[in-house]
Amino acid sequence: MIRLENVTKTYGTDIPAVRDASFEIAKGEFVFMVGPSGSGKSTLLRLMNRQEQPERGAVWVAGKNINEMADSKVPYLRRNIGNIFQDYKLLLNKTVFENVAFALEVIGRPKHVIRQQVPAVLDLVGLSDKEDRFPHQLSGGEQQRVSIARAFVNRPLILLADEPTGNLDPATGEGIMRLLDRINNTGTTVVMATHDQRIVNMMRRRVVQLDRGVIVRDQERGVYD
Amino acid sequence: MIARISYAFRETWASFKRNVTLTMAAVITSAVSLLLVGSTFLIQRAFDNLLTRWKGDVELIVYVRSDADANQIQVIEDALKSQPAIIDVSKLRYLDQADSYAEAQKLFAGDPGTLRLLTPENIPSQFKVVPISQDSNLIRELGEQFRGLAGVREVAYAQDVFDVVARVSQFIRIATTAMSIVLLMVAVGLIWNTIRTAMFARRREIEVMKLVGATNWFIRIPFMLEGLLQGLIGGVLSCLGLWGLNSAWSSAVADFNDTELAALVVTDGYMRFVMFILLGIGAIAGAVGSGIAASRFLDV
Ligand SMILES: Nc1ncnc2c1ncn2[C@@H]1O[C@H](COP(=O)(O)OP(=O)(O)OP(=O)(O)O)[C@@H](O)[C@H]1O
Ligand SMILES: [Mg+2]
Repeated sequence: MIRLENVTKTYGTDIPAVRDASFEIAKGEFVFMVGPSGSGKSTLLRLMNRQEQPERGAVWVAGKNINEMADSKVPYLRRNIGNIFQDYKLLLNKTVFENVAFALEVIGRPKHVIRQQVPAVLDLVGLSDKEDRFPHQLSGGEQQRVSIARAFVNRPLILLADEPTGNLDPATGEGIMRLLDRINNTGTTVVMATHDQRIVNMMRRRVVQLDRGVIVRDQERGVYD
Repeated sequence: MIARISYAFRETWASFKRNVTLTMAAVITSAVSLLLVGSTFLIQRAFDNLLTRWKGDVELIVYVRSDADANQIQVIEDALKSQPAIIDVSKLRYLDQADSYAEAQKLFAGDPGTLRLLTPENIPSQFKVVPISQDSNLIRELGEQFRGLAGVREVAYAQDVFDVVARVSQFIRIATTAMSIVLLMVAVGLIWNTIRTAMFARRREIEVMKLVGATNWFIRIPFMLEGLLQGLIGGVLSCLGLWGLNSAWSSAVADFNDTELAALVVTDGYMRFVMFILLGIGAIAGAVGSGIAASRFLDV
């Protein structure tokens, strides 16, 4: 589903944020990206939906080299990739329903599809009773559920989660983790960057560890260290 | 499709309301610059009318001294009529002192100082001469011969006046065109800035839109529509202003409808053409300003 071939990404002139990274993620897999702050986890995720272009190497997603893809095709690539962030990135002036509907609206989905799919995905994340609330009327965990609903409402092939539990207490974080696990069980490939040792150790999934931009470990059913 | 169109209009309207002050500034500047563009068109047209009319009209005036006697006047007339190869004898007109005074009253209506100095007794009478020959040197040679005749006070060539008016017209054309261009650029810049501000205010939305796979055009169109509307509203306002100015001018000039000033009025058809042009320029300026802003701040 995702393949990196000798990918190097440098922002400034100094050391690369990602250096010569190669790995492959199969369809339906769940992968943790771990490593200290600044080791290049977020950069790797951004390389996977062409928010960044590498200097060297190639990123393949669903059989296509996305670095050679025309700019005009990038939006269609992104419709297959959901994104979740530590800070949720919800629109504060829109309700829960509207935030999720927005993702469908701006890719031109008709009203009747929106009316049908938004309640379904809100039900999946357990927020059916809060669809008319605004983000500031929700807890952090609930806000993260909204952002997961928004990322998943279009049934993407891949979900990229950048420290989704970073702002949450352990119990709430665990709830979010279980939700992502359920989404993974529907066949969606999930790549999750995290610092959360407890969760990584609890899940026992594949772990890719980075250190200063270099992949230093790639382990099936791994633990944090 | 309908969902997309209604989305674009909703966003445009919301953004308009959010940025009232900037929007007003952009609209007013567009309106003023377009008004100037329109005025340039109309003034130029009026001058062209005037110049065309003069071209086919009197090109030589022989002023007769106010103390000339009937005999001297007859000599001048005979001399003129003896040159049928150069002047159109059938169009030769003599305005006696009463006629000349009546004409002066109209020509100098706006200049009572000059008018006070003139009386039916001291005003020169005049021969209005229409040449057949297009050769202005030949006409000037003829004019110089008349200068020598007793009773002739002065010979005036319409060509001289024509040249002055043409130069003035040329100068006004350049000045107003330059000012229009500068103001239009300011208007485009203000529209650009409004759109940039609108996009900055909505950067979170734009970020989310890009991440969920909205196309650049989908994101851009509401902003471009907003800029286009600003330019278009500016265009409409300038049309109203120009229409008002033109009506006021036309009715002021209507009082002089048998003098040259009447040529300074443009037809309704031309006015409609200019208004159409203004709306077009307004829309283009708006689309260009917002288009530049929208692509500039929408890099993936
Ligand atoms: N937009 C950017 N411009 C310049 N340098 C950047 C940019 N984004 C990241 N970097 C640098 O690239 C390196 C990797 O950053 P990245 O955000 O990928 O790390 P990370 O592993 O996600 O860290 P964290 O755990 O703190 O989120 C860092 O040295 C960072 O300073
Ligand atoms: Mg990071």
